[in-house]
Amino acid sequence: MNLPSPGLPDFDYVSADTSDEVVSLLLKYPNDARLFMGGTDIFLHMRDRLVTPKLLVDVKHLPGMTSIDFDPKSGLRLGAAATLNMIARHQAVVKYYSLLAEAIDAFGMYQLRNRATIGGNLCNASPCADTGPIALVYEASLLAIGPKGERTIPAAEFFLGPGKNALDEGEFLMRIDFPTPPKGCAGRYLKLGRNSAGDLALVSAAVMAYPDESVKSSYSFRLALASVAPTPIRVPAAEAILARDPLTDETIELAANEAEATSRPIDDIRASAHYRKAMVKALTRRGILEVRTMLEKEG
Amino acid sequence: MGTHRITLTVNRVQEVAEVPSNLTLLDFLRERLALTGTKNGCSTGECGACTVMMNGEPVNSCLVLAVEADGAEILTIEGLAHDGQLDTLQKAFIELTGTQCGFCAPGILISARALLNRNPHPSEAEIRDALRGHLCRCTGYVRIVESIQAAAKAGG
Amino acid sequence: MDEMKHTQKAPYPIGESIPRIDIHAKVTGEAKFTDDLPFGPGLLYGRVLRSPHPHALIKHINVSKALTMPGVRAVVTGADSDEHIGLYLKDRFIFCRERVRFVGDPVAGVVATSEAIADEACRLIDVEYEVLDPVLDPIRGIQPDAPLLHPDLGDYVVADFIQPKPGTNISNHFKVRKGDIEAAWPKCDVIVERSFRVPEVQHVPIETHIAIARVDQNGKITLWSSSQSPFAQRNLISEALGVSQSDIRVIAPYVGGGFGSKAGVSVEGMAVVMARKVPGHPVKMRLTREEEFFCSFVRQGLIAKTRVGATKDGKILAMKTEYYWDAGAYTEYGVNITRASGYSSTGPYNIPNVWADSYCVYTNHPVGGPMRGFGMPEIHWGIEQIMDIVADELGMDKVEFRLKNCLRSGDINVTGMKMHPIGLTECIQKASKAINWGTDEPASAPNKRRGKGLAIMWKAPAMPPNAGSSAWVRLNEDATVSLGIGGQEIGQGTFTVAAQMASAALGVPMDWIRISAPVDTQYSPYEWQTVASRLTWSMGNAIVKAAHNARKQILDIVAKYWDENPEDLDIKDGQVISYKTENSISIENIVVYGLPQPDGAGWQGGPIIGHGNFMPTYVTDLDNETGQGERAVVHYTTGCQAVDLEVNIETGHITILNIASAFDVGKAINPEQVRAQIEGGVGMGASTGILESLQFKDGIPQNISFMDYRIATAVDMPKKVESIIVEVPQDDGPWGARGVGEHPMVPTAPAIANALTAAVGVRILDLPLTPEKVFLALEQKAMTQGKGS
Ligand SMILES: Cc1cc2nc3c(=O)[nH]c(=O)nc-3n(C[C@H](O)[C@H](O)[C@H](O)COP(=O)(O)OP(=O)(O)OC[C@H]3O[C@@H](n4cnc5c(N)ncnc54)[C@H](O)[C@@H]3O)c2cc1C
Repeated sequence: MNLPSPGLPDFDYVSADTSDEVVSLLLKYPNDARLFMGGTDIFLHMRDRLVTPKLLVDVKHLPGMTSIDFDPKSGLRLGAAATLNMIARHQAVVKYYSLLAEAIDAFGMYQLRNRATIGGNLCNASPCADTGPIALVYEASLLAIGPKGERTIPAAEFFLGPGKNALDEGEFLMRIDFPTPPKGCAGRYLKLGRNSAGDLALVSAAVMAYPDESVKSSYSFRLALASVAPTPIRVPAAEAILARDPLTDETIELAANEAEATSRPIDDIRASAHYRKAMVKALTRRGILEVRTMLEKEG
Repeated sequence: MGTHRITLTVNRVQEVAEVPSNLTLLDFLRERLALTGTKNGCSTGECGACTVMMNGEPVNSCLVLAVEADGAEILTIEGLAHDGQLDTLQKAFIELTGTQCGFCAPGILISARALLNRNPHPSEAEIRDALRGHLCRCTGYVRIVESIQAAAKAGG
Repeated sequence: MDEMKHTQKAPYPIGESIPRIDIHAKVTGEAKFTDDLPFGPGLLYGRVLRSPHPHALIKHINVSKALTMPGVRAVVTGADSDEHIGLYLKDRFIFCRERVRFVGDPVAGVVATSEAIADEACRLIDVEYEVLDPVLDPIRGIQPDAPLLHPDLGDYVVADFIQPKPGTNISNHFKVRKGDIEAAWPKCDVIVERSFRVPEVQHVPIETHIAIARVDQNGKITLWSSSQSPFAQRNLISEALGVSQSDIRVIAPYVGGGFGSKAGVSVEGMAVVMARKVPGHPVKMRLTREEEFFCSFVRQGLIAKTRVGATKDGKILAMKTEYYWDAGAYTEYGVNITRASGYSSTGPYNIPNVWADSYCVYTNHPVGGPMRGFGMPEIHWGIEQIMDIVADELGMDKVEFRLKNCLRSGDINVTGMKMHPIGLTECIQKASKAINWGTDEPASAPNKRRGKGLAIMWKAPAMPPNAGSSAWVRLNEDATVSLGIGGQEIGQGTFTVAAQMASAALGVPMDWIRISAPVDTQYSPYEWQTVASRLTWSMGNAIVKAAHNARKQILDIVAKYWDENPEDLDIKDGQVISYKTENSISIENIVVYGLPQPDGAGWQGGPIIGHGNFMPTYVTDLDNETGQGERAVVHYTTGCQAVDLEVNIETGHITILNIASAFDVGKAINPEQVRAQIEGGVGMGASTGILESLQFKDGIPQNISFMDYRIATAVDMPKKVESIIVEVPQDDGPWGARGVGEHPMVPTAPAIANALTAAVGVRILDLPLTPEKVFLALEQKAMTQGKGS
């Protein structure tokens, strides 16, 4: 058994001022340099000796890295180093991106969220990351900066597996763009932990829906799940059911069954795969029911 | 391993220090400044015993590097009372037995102060939610919540 | 017991909710805990290399790489201390020799100039092991072909009330044979048999274990430690290292939570052995949170098999119990937990025919230590559930069933002891009433179900029959009083209650009392240990005696001065007064300088120091074969908890809406502190009831972080916690007081389990009641019902 060290191992610290500096450090020390912003993942990994960087590059002070901008046309632009509390407090988030606010509310604890950043949460690419399913249902895109300049990665293509993201060597995450949500959109983020709040998700479900005359049920749904696959996942089959059939309890049950079938959870010390699967169904069902009520109220 | 020169304010006093990269803010406060009121309970940001105020917001000082606090304003439990006056929260904790062994109290008081600063009249649920990053094994949290409620009532 | 006479009258400030005297320091950051003490640049740090195997022989240790690492000052191994250590059964080396018995067993220690260097150097030590088959379950451990953990068990030094079985893994076997159990079964109309499981859990003090040891050039030892038992640590280390008790000084600052884990010796011994290698240098040894979960003590696991029989009118006739304690690799306290659970195996019930076997079984798990409740939460988990099941089979109301069968004053209990006055029936009535027992109330949502349940409990201080306390009071010029005690403030409020008792017994205002803290074995009076909820009672008795002793000295001087009879004098509010002449004089100054005789004929009196001690002298042996005796324990504290809860049937989550507790504390010296203990106990009971278990895979602990060992936070706590104090005075306690520190967590988990059954009709026999377990039980129930219809 590998016990964590009492403190943080040795490393060098540098706070980067420009994107170029970050990229060149990453290229120069591909194995030894790691980026950090809030440190709430990487410091733990370093104590556990899962990573042993010789150089930590603090990227949160780069220009624009913590900015939060909203424009009704283009949507929400979050600097990668915007802390979760900054985001949750922002009026546009409260008003237009309630799922994001809800996920942040369910995330860790207040003082941690003063350090934890949205970019760190996404880059860390944990299957249980709370903002993962949120980025998926809002169909966010991630702006990376690298040796070849800027590149935009759709959230759906960003997560590759536990701890693995789509950034290439020398690339870092600069910004996350959330498009303007569909008109009349409602949503719920339901997270299940072992205790009532503050745990990592055993399962979580993000349910979003909006009126859509182009589909038969007249509502388009987007469903995403965390902690039940190597990455956060969308559940297109369930979304299709909800678009096709009127939103009766039976339809919802079918969609929830589909979500359960799509999920591929594992057994671990936190929960069994069996329980997780059942919870996918329970949370999806409840989420859709609640969103239906919200939509009906709106309509 | 490099060291860095930092200048920061701790409990309204300016400090200048040379710190290694891997020194946490927690160890800096405890070992360099002998401000031992802030406690180490887990080193992983879970227990909240190391909570201090950094630029007006609570953070787990075990997950902040001392070098990151360059230019920051830090408030620890030792600075909560000032001008010879206890904070309203401290008074309430004394009166209502807001702590038993006392090990989690410094962090809790800092988080509670931050809560009342941003929300002077929190509901019981909001208080409990603000405490969810603080583990206390003695009190069952009952009197901690009551103390914070009393302090809010007494004008924060 | 003359000092107990004033059981009835309770002078100020007895019974008053005086604010804690330690709290100002604790809310300002002033309070010093062990890790807060400064030691200067000579301080060195110790880290320990631990066994990665649950069971193995050490073939070879190579420390050369570690020794040559810059900054390393010394390396120690089992070769550096060859005496066994242990409280009741000396079965452990400070550092392992030849054999490791659990994952985490200390194999070597490194002393270095920083914690990081010491830690790094530990990783450079090469150890060659021969891996052995482990014992990972107590049932496996008692089988004849099980691997033996302690082949030398027969040679170990053991306390006379503990009975190890050499040649097996059984470190203690305690028996109860009362009445005629075989003759009783046929008379029973209902017989219920169940097997219950309790996992290992950890105490989780927020301050992890820490000790700093310094050994001087003459071999004298100073140890600063976060300790519940400074005197026991002194004694155990003295015996293990062959150093006089007088040459070991233990200084124990405030303790950041103990709950039993900081009783006895764990890291302290290692710190001392490491410090011996670097004379003059203090060596600090602090457990990381991860180590805390499995390297100090854990609460033992338990498998309990229980059978209860009752007649159809609801009278329990017979109870048979087998306890298999998963004691772990060594048994610091486990052997006595085994004994205590045996002699308490009926719970607080009056049962004429009892058979119990309680086995303490060595396993290759972390060391089982004492934890709040000392075996009682573990055994009541089963007792209080099986009683509910019996009541159900009889179709009887559970409150009525308990009232019919519970112990009352004067009843003869399981070990043949006549019960002292107890207020258990009052506790049951008050707690059940507080949750509106008997009325069905609606759940808050369609996916929730509501239910109510209760559990009762008893617990005696479990300790050697002659565990003693002592105290002194020293008066200062301004008549403030330095109160010397050896009991430790671990959060329970003992300093405050001690001061209240001294104030009342001496007759001076409360705020004149100063506790002489920190406890320091060089100056403080002897106290056995801060465990067993015994301080208010035992140390309290010593304080009262010490205060009376000082009081008598003061009254004698003043009586002479006034030429009166001391019997007519009293001390009130710091004044000596005469009931006869109405004379009065402040005790200021005279308590140090004495009083002049008339006509300049010299002075009399002198600096006043009062002393007192207490040791129960009336605890008798129990027969080895039957577990019967006249008075096995000093007394039992009893109580009841009633729970009203909701279960989310979609997820299995339990939400406690209301938990009402009633405990018979004899006399609440400080009622708000009693309530604070009850609330804390409820919190810990609910947390261990719903969330906690140390999980193992092949003997390796899997969840040694707060991320995966969840404990209750403020959002998990019951919505309402009600605490009711019942006071039926104790014959041998100060003003009738008995302990209540541990008791509130004893009935919590089974009360929740009983309410769960009431809510959703499933019965879960293994702790904890995690959402997943509840959900799976509901799923199972739905399946069987589906099949049935
Ligand atoms: C007590 C505790 C509770 C937690 N609870 C939750 C929870 O409820 N839900 C949840 O989802 N998570 C939780 N976490 C995990 C963690 O807090 C989050 O993942 C957080 O958002 C990470 O952000 P950060 O800024 O701290 O990341 P960092 O630790 O700074 O970085 C995370 C990773 O991203 C890399 N990285 C950092 N910046 C960049 C960049 N700009 N470009 C590319 N890569 C980069 C780093 O190298 C590292 O691998 C918890 C952690 C702790 C300690």
